[in-house]
Amino acid sequence: MAPKYKFTYFNLRARGELSRLIFAAAGVQYEDYRIDFPQWPAFKEKTPMGQMPLLEADGKVVCQSGAIARYLARETGLGGKSSWEEAQVDMFVCGVNDLIDKLCDAHFASDEAIKEERTKALGPYVTKFLDNYEKLGGPDGHLVGTSLTYADLAFFVGMHDVLKHRADALEKFPKLAKVVERVRENKGVAAYIAERPETNI
Amino acid sequence: MAPKYKFTYFNARGRGELVRLIFAAAGVEYEDVRFDWEQWLAFKAKGTTPMGQIPVLEVDGRMMCQSLAIARYVARETGLCGTTSWEEAQADMFVCGADDLLTNLITVRFEKDEAKKEEGKRDLATYVPNFLANYEKLCGTEGYLVGTSLTYADLAFFNVMHDILKVTSLDKYPKLAKVVEHVTADRGVATWLAKRPDTPS
Repeated sequence: MAPKYKFTYFNLRARGELSRLIFAAAGVQYEDYRIDFPQWPAFKEKTPMGQMPLLEADGKVVCQSGAIARYLARETGLGGKSSWEEAQVDMFVCGVNDLIDKLCDAHFASDEAIKEERTKALGPYVTKFLDNYEKLGGPDGHLVGTSLTYADLAFFVGMHDVLKHRADALEKFPKLAKVVERVRENKGVAAYIAERPETNI
Repeated sequence: MAPKYKFTYFNARGRGELVRLIFAAAGVEYEDVRFDWEQWLAFKAKGTTPMGQIPVLEVDGRMMCQSLAIARYVARETGLCGTTSWEEAQADMFVCGADDLLTNLITVRFEKDEAKKEEGKRDLATYVPNFLANYEKLCGTEGYLVGTSLTYADLAFFNVMHDILKVTSLDKYPKLAKVVEHVTADRGVATWLAKRPDTPS
């Protein structure tokens, strides 16, 4: 019998959205529990490492967004079809996390001068990131292999703000544009995106 | 036939040592390539790395990057990642948490701005006890973070504790002390620790 899943995070995309997209793409039911900031301090005490997101599967809890995403991908067949494919998928997802870290570092910098410096550095960073991924990505709209993996979903998550800022950001990257297209075409993902709360990050 | 592994990184522990510890614990042969800065620049200029970074792992001529993706692959191939999918998720969680601390330590270590460095050290003074308290609470009862035998989670914990153990006793953390005992008693790890280059970080 399918496990009873509960995914707990803030009402944000940030470090939770990849797991939500994996559930959506896989068509797996789960409780999408979103905590408000005021509720967080009390809730924090009860978590394994004082952080979110959390995944509960039949009552057992695990934290760390990457570990959760990898577990869900493994359980739903979206992790790659061999150990080496799994490693490549993993590599792409790690690279996206690095990008998201850079985006967050710029977005959340409190010092204006630092914020400006980091935002400026984003341009070349994103270009290099896209150059690498275009070079490494598969030709059929999938970063790895011949069907959707959570690497494609992670790339889609990472590109959310980049594409919002510049809709033509993938013009010079046809393979990556195809990846985004395939993700958007996925029935589960499309349905989820149509319904999901609109959030700043 | 066993794959031919080649692991390339700087002559440092940094983000490479976890992979080296996994190979050691698993008793798996590999080529341990260490670059100085000039060699790295020459290698980078060849354009053969997936994302312009090291470490990279080559397996029978195919190359991948991203230190944790590599660690997870090698752990998977050598049976050191957990014995079930859920155990794999737990081990993954512990490794991610250890990597968060490692990132903190590396950032503070290499911070050039004295004021920021001091602030970082102050943050670590609360971060580390929190980390240890969480890990002690979550640690299994058999002297392994997960399950009843060594996984790369134990190696990751041991690795991140390298400098911390020089100034902090694990007296208040008996389960974690046992983990460290098990790691250092492992034949492959002990041999490696005795012969590995001594590097500042």
